[in-house]
Amino acid sequence: MCLAVPGRIISLSNDIDPLARKGQIDFSGITKEISLAYVPEAAINDYVIVHAGFAISVLDEDEAHESLQAFQALDEFRNNE
Amino acid sequence: MKYLAEYRDPATAKKLVAAIASITTKPWNIMEVCGGQTHSIIKYGIDQLLPNAINLIHGPGCPVCVTPLEYIDKALAIAQLPEVIFCSFGDMLRVPGSHHDLLGLKAQGADIRIVYSPLESLTIAQQHPDKQVVFFGVGFETTAPATALLAYQAKQLALKNFSLLVCHVRVPPVMEALLNSPNNQVQGFLGAGHVCSIMGYHEYLPLAAHFKMPIVITGFEPVDILQGIYLCIKQLEEGRFEVENEYRRVVKEQGNLPAQQLMQSVFNIVDRPWRGLDNIAAAV
Repeated sequence: MCLAVPGRIISLSNDIDPLARKGQIDFSGITKEISLAYVPEAAINDYVIVHAGFAISVLDEDEAHESLQAFQALDEFRNNE
Repeated sequence: MKYLAEYRDPATAKKLVAAIASITTKPWNIMEVCGGQTHSIIKYGIDQLLPNAINLIHGPGCPVCVTPLEYIDKALAIAQLPEVIFCSFGDMLRVPGSHHDLLGLKAQGADIRIVYSPLESLTIAQQHPDKQVVFFGVGFETTAPATALLAYQAKQLALKNFSLLVCHVRVPPVMEALLNSPNNQVQGFLGAGHVCSIMGYHEYLPLAAHFKMPIVITGFEPVDILQGIYLCIKQLEEGRFEVENEYRRVVKEQGNLPAQQLMQSVFNIVDRPWRGLDNIAAAV
């Protein structure tokens, strides 16, 4: 039910009402129109987390890279043991 | 897919499994709150990879399965009306009511439509002004903003043939109800990441402090879940009980403010029965 997947914004609508804003989102080759009502800060090329036709969050790429680096560090820690 | 494959990487998962085993010294019971997390745990066999000392308690149920029978029966009664087009997420169609389910009704000819986005039901209402279109709003806080926007846009469009059957539920009250149970065995929670992407996690701070309960906000990919378990076990082994955010790439402490604002203007919070758990105060 709460499934959500990341996709990249490739175009934005020009709606004046922020709650009507939509975008075309690319999910690795599949494109779908998604409501951007709840991510007013989202811009083209941002990754958003999409659930039931709605972007619920803009993916924080810095945090993603940090978490992946942390997994790398875990490996080094274990190798040093 | 970028930002998905990295979190399904078997090598990273193996490292985390080893790290969990290395810090676990005694038995612990952890509950993953969201059915989506349970799905990942079973799909990727995460429960089979963990040390025997770690017991995952699946619960307290997804919004589909906790929807009370009376709401399913209401949905079935409405969907049978000849003037109605009944719109629902696909996963509600097989949930049994007292006598039948939505899928069975659809097979008998009722106009029941599966929508991916709730907004599709607005388009259906505009295309069928001679019909009454009803959307069955089911879901945790992750999904409720979609229903809120539906209500907002239906009002803006002045649609006269559109209604909502709302059955959303909130997560923190049911976590509190579980913790208040004298039979509670849960010693740590994996918080539902997508619920928290909407609501933030400030509501969990008093729960963690009052019940001395580690709560780790966790994502849905196997690496996320293993990382959530690792952080939770680490807290338990060290005697800490904090709210930690494993899913920082998606969840911010304050959550999604525009979604919270619209939900506040559209919904009222009321008590509600939770299938399997009795009445939960302020559940929806």
